[in-house]
Amino acid sequence: MYLKNVLAIASKDMKEVFSSIEIYGPMLGVPLFFAVFLPIMTFYITIYGAPQILAKLVAVSSVGPGMPMATGVVFMQFFSINVLGPIFLTMPILTASVIAADSFSGEKERKTSEALLATPVSVTDLLLGKIMASFIPTMLLTLSVFLVYGGITNALSFQAYNAFILPTAPWLLMVLTSPFLALVAIGFIVLISSKAKGIKEAQQISTLLALPILVIPFVSVLGIATLDTGFFLDTIAVLAALDALTLYVGVRSFRKESIL
Amino acid sequence: MPSIDVSRVGKRFGRTEALRGVTFRADRGMALVLGPNGAGKSTLLKCIDGLLRTDGGRVRVNGADPYADQSLHAKMALMTENYALYDHLTVADNLKFFGRLYGIPDREILAKGTRMLRGLSALKYLGAKVQTLSRGTKQKVAFCRAVINDPEVLLLDEPTAFLDATAADYLREFIVDQSRRGPVVFVTQRIDEVTRYDARLLVLREGRLIRDTATSSIYTEMFRDSFVNIRLARPIPASALRRIRGMSPVGAGERTATVRVSIDGYRDIDRAIRELLKRGAYITSVDYAEPMLERVFSRG
Repeated sequence: MYLKNVLAIASKDMKEVFSSIEIYGPMLGVPLFFAVFLPIMTFYITIYGAPQILAKLVAVSSVGPGMPMATGVVFMQFFSINVLGPIFLTMPILTASVIAADSFSGEKERKTSEALLATPVSVTDLLLGKIMASFIPTMLLTLSVFLVYGGITNALSFQAYNAFILPTAPWLLMVLTSPFLALVAIGFIVLISSKAKGIKEAQQISTLLALPILVIPFVSVLGIATLDTGFFLDTIAVLAALDALTLYVGVRSFRKESIL
Repeated sequence: MPSIDVSRVGKRFGRTEALRGVTFRADRGMALVLGPNGAGKSTLLKCIDGLLRTDGGRVRVNGADPYADQSLHAKMALMTENYALYDHLTVADNLKFFGRLYGIPDREILAKGTRMLRGLSALKYLGAKVQTLSRGTKQKVAFCRAVINDPEVLLLDEPTAFLDATAADYLREFIVDQSRRGPVVFVTQRIDEVTRYDARLLVLREGRLIRDTATSSIYTEMFRDSFVNIRLARPIPASALRRIRGMSPVGAGERTATVRVSIDGYRDIDRAIRELLKRGAYITSVDYAEPMLERVFSRG
């Protein structure tokens, strides 16, 4: 492996993505909009609807005495982690899918792969470069989104209840889950890139990975699972194994003709 | 010495047999590969470059398998019919990216790129994004990109198709010069392009190599049972032309400045010119009627 080649491919791909606002605009704009909008929405739900909703969702017994604002705090904490958290966890999958699909299938669609494969670069270097090119911007965006959403949530909770509700251990572990999710999405794209005919097809297939995550809020609200430290540690362990498997199989089964 | 050795190569795409038992060897010098659409020309180039795995036979470049040995590409260059440039990057960024993959320092890449682009009258586009360029300019940049590594083995697919005359001539000179260092395989379906070189000519038809000859033989083939238009500086009487065997005026007027001449070989062109000069005509040009490629070497 030649690190220089890996870095050259990764930086070229990232330069391409960020060369035109038409490409990166929607990719950045939508998540950042939700990172601002959803915590504000949560805050207003907390203020105006928390007592009624809270009675159904959270065990009030966990709120200690002498904390008149505690029901609101608990609701906001519950909603921020159990409902908003999984929504933001789809970001690494969706972003990685967009970039990786464009990176692999885009070369095929635009026929640039012919020139790329005509260079002395090995297939391993090529794949590592592309994986890196998808992973770095995905993680930068995901961390930004979590920072914005966490920051706004804290600002609003401090303003209303004089308390910061984030970060909690489960929330930090949820953030830590995102690189593993991004790698699953990228590994999946590597796997299907040889089968997909174009960018849109690859993207559509890979974004299906986000669906199971969108089930998490319901699972949590219905009390089927609790998004606590143990839940996220188990999730990270499973994802790490899945990352290793998809990336290994993807790299092993990749044939250069698949992107021609 | 750099070499290409293609031995009984076959390639299938599903049920389509793109190449059937193609065999040839090329050392130094240029080999033009001529054939109509779908003859397998581009597939042959991609097999030689190792982009495609052959289904039969073998390809060796400098004695090694280009499909399995990616390091061979350090001294090879391929320019396909697709420009294979990144639209959202500038010309300079494209050149730097590909150059870096060959381990060439940026300064050297830009120096080479500048020299080539100046020769092709496209230096002013160095900072422009590829998506803003015309088809011809993209082709110029693609050529610079392809040869940025000073290759020993050069594989070209219609490299002059959309170039202006000056740039095409620059490119042809470059290619001929390159062919003194190592093998150049130049794929084309334009007979006009073939006639510009004194080189080896390989004719492909339906995936088979049907002729391994010299470009000079194209004149015998292409002028068989054909015609040319000879243009004159001043019109001459049409009636005088009709008395010469194989000549007829173009247009219905009493005088004509363009003469249509039926020929059966290139020697007939000389004969027609002599006849016209004897009658006091001044010749400005001879226009070849490009025969359909399918007609050329049809008996191969």
